[in-house]
Amino acid sequence: MKLLLVEDDREGAAYLKKALTEAGHTVDHAAAGREGLLLAAGEAYDVIILDRMLPEVDGMAILRTIRASGVKTPVLLLTAMGGIDDRVEGLEAGGDDYLLKPFAFAELLARVNALARRPPTQDVQAVLTVSDLQLDRLKRTVIRAGVRIELQPREFQLLEYLMGHAGRVVTRTMLLESVWDFHFDPTTNIVETHMSRLRAKVDRGHACELIHTVRGAGYCLRAPD
Amino acid sequence: MFRSTSLRLAALYTAAFAISVVILGGVTLISTRAALRQQFDARINAEALALAQEFRTEGLTGVVQAVQERDRTPGALDYGLIGPAGELVAGRLAAPAAPYGWSTLRLRQPHGETASIRVLTTALPQGYRLVVGDDDEGSDALQGTVVAGFVWAFAGVVVLGILGGYGFGRDVHRRLATMTGAAEAIIDGDMTRRIPVRGSDDDLDRLAVTFNRMLERTQALMESLRQVSNDIAHDLRTPLARLRQRLEASRTLATQEEQAGAVGGALADVDAILDTFAALLRIAQVEGGARKAAFRPVDLSALARTVVEAFAPSAEDAGQQLAVQGDGPLPVEGDPELLTQMLANLVENALRHAGAAAKITVRAVAGSGGVRLSVIDNGPGIPAAERQRVFDRFYRLEGSRSTQGSGLGLALVAAVARLHGAAIELADAGPGLDVRVSFPRPVRNIGISQPGGQLPVT
Repeated sequence: MKLLLVEDDREGAAYLKKALTEAGHTVDHAAAGREGLLLAAGEAYDVIILDRMLPEVDGMAILRTIRASGVKTPVLLLTAMGGIDDRVEGLEAGGDDYLLKPFAFAELLARVNALARRPPTQDVQAVLTVSDLQLDRLKRTVIRAGVRIELQPREFQLLEYLMGHAGRVVTRTMLLESVWDFHFDPTTNIVETHMSRLRAKVDRGHACELIHTVRGAGYCLRAPD
Repeated sequence: MFRSTSLRLAALYTAAFAISVVILGGVTLISTRAALRQQFDARINAEALALAQEFRTEGLTGVVQAVQERDRTPGALDYGLIGPAGELVAGRLAAPAAPYGWSTLRLRQPHGETASIRVLTTALPQGYRLVVGDDDEGSDALQGTVVAGFVWAFAGVVVLGILGGYGFGRDVHRRLATMTGAAEAIIDGDMTRRIPVRGSDDDLDRLAVTFNRMLERTQALMESLRQVSNDIAHDLRTPLARLRQRLEASRTLATQEEQAGAVGGALADVDAILDTFAALLRIAQVEGGARKAAFRPVDLSALARTVVEAFAPSAEDAGQQLAVQGDGPLPVEGDPELLTQMLANLVENALRHAGAAAKITVRAVAGSGGVRLSVIDNGPGIPAAERQRVFDRFYRLEGSRSTQGSGLGLALVAAVARLHGAAIELADAGPGLDVRVSFPRPVRNIGISQPGGQLPVT
């Protein structure tokens, strides 16, 4: 995938670029706002990773400008500002996701992947299918290998999110934000316990597991190879 | 003193009143003069008619006699009887050229100066003419009296205005100067300084009260800021020191495995430090009160269900019971994100400290004064003496130091409650702890129906 990284901290940017390249992406780096704006508006990228605070042209200004000129590339905002209003402001300005510095690289990678390969029709797909698992969004039913699985509403949401991101890693934080709308980090392992219940219902008794734990990163639902 | 607003206002009012007096005086003078002239004209007209009548009944001699007689009377009008040839037959007004009707004559006085005089000239039989007039002295004197009256009134208004304005102005000026003084003292660093309040409840008094409230708030904010700096200094230093030691020690580690372990430990330390840091910033942000703008109706009942439902599996796995009571909707004005975090912190706190096999109940009920959210456990509780201190940053009960937690969870709870105007109360659940957060009744969202009175608690 082709990524644009707009970040003024050269050392941090070099590290991110190296790690993203190792993960198989092509990365262009802009260290200042104006260069970032020119690249973002001129080139075709899969995802733009945009720091909020930049010299010359501020990250928010870049975001507003490219959105106003019709660029629809997904934008992941990075920020050192921890305010709740900052996140809301960033998303309202046209950002697609928001990540607070400092972050684990696995978190960034998972979010970039989630943004990049988001199929445009995903939202209107009524039935999600992965291998022999089927989730019907309208009927609110889940069927595995022809057998209906009863899920609690939250477990259904959790599975819906995993299937919507099938084949990609989703982190604990991504699940907390999108399934529970929790924008803080509980010290209790609520994601883990819900996930283990979901796995017990979805995978137990089946020869191959669909939900996998990715060590140090999160979870991944994928069809067996 | 001249730059004082109140004095300038007083001066402005005095000037306005003085100008009114001058205008009033002018109008009075003009109308007085018009009335006097009318009166004079009527008198002169009557005299001229009377003398013409005299001429007709008594003839020329009668008129000459009458004129001479009137000339001798002091204070009488001035007369002139002019013959057909223009000669003065009787009287003093030698005006052969005066036209018939009303006119103004310029006369040379005995002492040389000239005077204006308004006259009425009437035609008499046999070519005689009668001129009657008056030198206006009487009306001048009357006008003088009127003018003098107004000059005194003018002086009075100006003097009273200045004195009154000075008196009232000095009072206001003095009170404003007190306020300025207090502000100056605060600028110089005396944050405890307040503006004296009279208790008269006038606008300046209310300003002083508001000003003092603002100062209280500013002082509280500064205090909180100072507290945060202190907390950071004290409580981030310890884990940072530990991290440093760990990294230092890892340099001498022989095997790669040991080194990887050390790096993992260091990462965990850094994460803990960052968590603490984020929590401190969040508390400071909430205490700053900036988020009040984002308040909207929040159903506490639904919020309680969401939080309990999120934590229930974890509680169950730990052998604890977590339940929710009360049905909704129970609306309050608030920030849903912060309220969720507040309740999550309270629930986590109970899960952590109430012990294994604990029963924890989250209860949302409507009371007479508003909505109350309670988190009740049957654990060891908190000794009454320590109940208030648990809301301080980094405060941890002696027995709980070994358990997980930053010591900031309840401080955030307190900050969020304060932001929402809610009161927190720690009560004895006998046994256990009952944390009650009481929200004031919402004032705006009347659109959402509320159940009346206390909900039945099952």
